[in-house]
Amino acid sequence: MLVKVNSAAISGLDGFIVEVEVDSIRGLPGQSIVGLPDAAVKESRDRVKFAITNSGFEFPPGYFTINLAPADIRKEGPMYDLPIAIGMLASSEQISTGKLSETVILGELSLDGGLRPVNGVLPMCMSINGNGIKRVIVPMENADEAALVSEVEVISCENLLEAANFLNGKISKKPHVIDIKALFSSRASYDIDFSDVKGQGHAKRALEVASAGGHNILMVGSPGSGKTMLARRLPTILPPLSINEALDVTKLYSITGLLSSKKSLITERPFRSPHHTTSDIGIIGGGRIPRPGEVSLAHMGILFLDEFSEFERKVLEVLRQPLEDGVVTIARAMSSVTFPAEFMLVAAMNPCPCGNYMDPTKTCTCPSFKVQRYWGKLSGPLLDRIDLHVEVPRLKKEELSEAPKGETSAEIRGRVDKARQRQIERLKGLKVNCNARMLPKHVREFCKLEPDAENLLKSAIMHLKMSGRSYDRILKVSRTIADLEGSENIKSNHIAEAIQYRSMDREK
Amino acid sequence: MIIALNFDMSKESTTLGKEGETIAVDHLIEKGYEILERNFRSQQGEIDIIAKENGFLVFVEVKMYSIGSYGTPLGAIRKPKKESMIHAARTYLLKNNIKNTNCRFDVLAIYRSWKGLSSFDLIKDAFHVS
Repeated sequence: MLVKVNSAAISGLDGFIVEVEVDSIRGLPGQSIVGLPDAAVKESRDRVKFAITNSGFEFPPGYFTINLAPADIRKEGPMYDLPIAIGMLASSEQISTGKLSETVILGELSLDGGLRPVNGVLPMCMSINGNGIKRVIVPMENADEAALVSEVEVISCENLLEAANFLNGKISKKPHVIDIKALFSSRASYDIDFSDVKGQGHAKRALEVASAGGHNILMVGSPGSGKTMLARRLPTILPPLSINEALDVTKLYSITGLLSSKKSLITERPFRSPHHTTSDIGIIGGGRIPRPGEVSLAHMGILFLDEFSEFERKVLEVLRQPLEDGVVTIARAMSSVTFPAEFMLVAAMNPCPCGNYMDPTKTCTCPSFKVQRYWGKLSGPLLDRIDLHVEVPRLKKEELSEAPKGETSAEIRGRVDKARQRQIERLKGLKVNCNARMLPKHVREFCKLEPDAENLLKSAIMHLKMSGRSYDRILKVSRTIADLEGSENIKSNHIAEAIQYRSMDREK
Repeated sequence: MIIALNFDMSKESTTLGKEGETIAVDHLIEKGYEILERNFRSQQGEIDIIAKENGFLVFVEVKMYSIGSYGTPLGAIRKPKKESMIHAARTYLLKNNIKNTNCRFDVLAIYRSWKGLSSFDLIKDAFHVS
């Protein structure tokens, strides 16, 4: 008997419905899977065989053909185990077909018939909305993730037998529900706090501005001055994610399999700190079937590149396009995929190979050509895209021992949250959510300068020979500084602060 | 265990095999199999016993083991043997114009003890066409 079971697959970031058609003829026993299956799908034959017999069903005789439609898109991953098993059982009339047409089934089988979690459940569930599908059957571990899509009923099952009994109407199961609002109500608590870092008021202020507006920031300072310490504390002052942003981030983590079964929705902004040996593909994403890279995993969060100038030049240059566009399009022979990559770049580096260049207390031992080569790795266009450049000097002895405790993360976060809220209200309905992502026309519309501020900016541009992009970036940063202060227009002191954050432009 | 085999190996194997098949047929009949054919050969394959059981057309491979021999019955059915059986099975179905019948490949292992007593291990649905 021909049976059709619905399942789903992922292409890039979006899911689509896959119809698993199962039919058999009497004859020599065997199974074949067609419809561009990859190795994991082909292997499901063996898993399905044992899962069926170990669940107390009879493995149906005859020659089975399993077709995964649409047949021209490559199917990968083990999520078709359960639909294939259910299709074979339904085809041999061991499961009733009544509910199959309105159900999407996902899950990997273990040999004992148990269900294992699969990747990409969230985007797949988002895509099945409509299409006459009422419910989705998923493994227990994926239930929370699937339940984030409130339009479909989520039935979570522990094993093949439970799924079969549900489809046969032998047992009734309550749809799994999850309270999304409750997930957002509690903010993560951190073991680290900004007050742990002594001194460095200037750098802290720059980080506050950066996180309020989502600006990119470069910290330069001698070893041990606290750059990494500061960057690691950045998540503690970031504004909260909105529900839609959280779903976007969770989607990315779902397809890469980085979502833990305990935490179904990512409610905190991601913080990614890849090591400086990471390849350009690792950063940007890629592979035969494109996967998101670090820039996409840092979407809506922070990409922290420690030892910035130790990264390969090629790796740094690939950052240019996503920094500007907020998306990466990866084209491969198999397919071309666009992943979101709206991240905030936080980079930290030493001023020279020995680390003591421009240090007031220690002498730099590097020959000048080495310092030049060190800085040469950072191209002009890349530095241009970093809005805030800030020096993190080594602390003096007395600062180390006596410096008063700085502000706590909670205090800074309060200001950041308020500033970000102002931006969200101002940019409502514009597809951008923070100052750093404003388009030129938004800059013209929203960055209104007071007369003396305008004069100051004009003379700064003339004297410091800044590029057009720098000009825009200064305006955006000063807009954020004004937001932090609660000021409607940009005043001269806001512009002045924004200009002094472009120290690398001045030095060149 | 080391067994001294100081006589003609091939002759011993054939007689053992023939003897085994007779015992196998008796055992299968006892189990409710209806024997249709013995030693069916096609150009590239052969099947020891073809039988009917419970609505299935069953192709049986008989494996004879004397105590001390190596391996297990399923281990002895390797890819070439499988392909030979599948080829012969296809030929049989075609020759006799059999359609719409569920088929199965079984392996019957017979273990012979020193005293000539046999124990059987019938593996139903031992492998599939892939």
